[in-house]
Amino acid sequence: MSQVRPSSEAAPSGAGHAGQDAWFFCLRILGGRYAFEALLVTEVVRLGPLTRLPAAPSFLPGVFMHRGEVLPVLDIGQLVGQGAIAIRASTRAAVVHSGQWKVAVISDGLEGLVVIPRRHLEAPPAESSGMAEFLSGVARDKLGTIAVLDLPRLVEAARSRAVPAGSAGT
Amino acid sequence: MTEPVSELLMFQLGARVFATTVRDVVRIGNIADVPRDALVEGTSLGPTFARQRGLVVAAPEGGAESTLVVDQVLGVRTVPESELQPLPAFAAAVLTSGAISGLVLLDEAPTLIVDLPILVRERLAAAPPRPSPPAATA
Repeated sequence: MSQVRPSSEAAPSGAGHAGQDAWFFCLRILGGRYAFEALLVTEVVRLGPLTRLPAAPSFLPGVFMHRGEVLPVLDIGQLVGQGAIAIRASTRAAVVHSGQWKVAVISDGLEGLVVIPRRHLEAPPAESSGMAEFLSGVARDKLGTIAVLDLPRLVEAARSRAVPAGSAGT
Repeated sequence: MTEPVSELLMFQLGARVFATTVRDVVRIGNIADVPRDALVEGTSLGPTFARQRGLVVAAPEGGAESTLVVDQVLGVRTVPESELQPLPAFAAAVLTSGAISGLVLLDEAPTLIVDLPILVRERLAAAPPRPSPPAATA
């Protein structure tokens, strides 16, 4: 596992620089490049053995213990109906933390930190289907397009797509 | 100063082992002695195989007791309360059942902690209505 928070030298936060570059943590999901704001990603971990939860939706394949803490695994591919991300022994996850939500997001591969000049950030497409509805923006670097994910929006969508507790069948 | 501990009853249902707090279990019984309509099966924990034992759970507000059918009762474990882990907020928010209250690491295996009263309540709420007994004839 590794900490991914950028150092203060690498990620200038002074008033004179903060507005110029944006830092993101980039992952590959089902053939696309996606990212979270770097400050939301606290570390990268190798998945431990998953404990599956009864009555869990498909986008929550299980939980695992990490440093004495139980972390839920989020499969964004399943959440947006684009298919499951394969979980292997080598699968690593980005631990993303926003407010009360802390999830281990699995991916097909992790690119790591990328720096995007803020002038290269654009608003997300207006579509309201698939991954587009969870984007806070779109960035471009020399490797192509990066879709910036909005974790609170992902979590809210996950909650709304799960059947409320107590109304489950068997 | 001694650390607070929690007593967990371990049981097996299908291929999985679960834990529940001992205080939620009124007694452990033989399901052959229980009327069929008091047995609770087909919960979100999954199907039973051997159906050897029943965990009797008190009903809320003085109603009838319910008996959760399980495959085996494995015993009681005493663990420090500090080792009981609540379900992560995200998992709790999206599970379709509120019956899993947390996890505990036992013998290096994460074991789910089941809230039996909630499990039984959810199952009874989801159960199809039982057919009415035939009307008595003169």
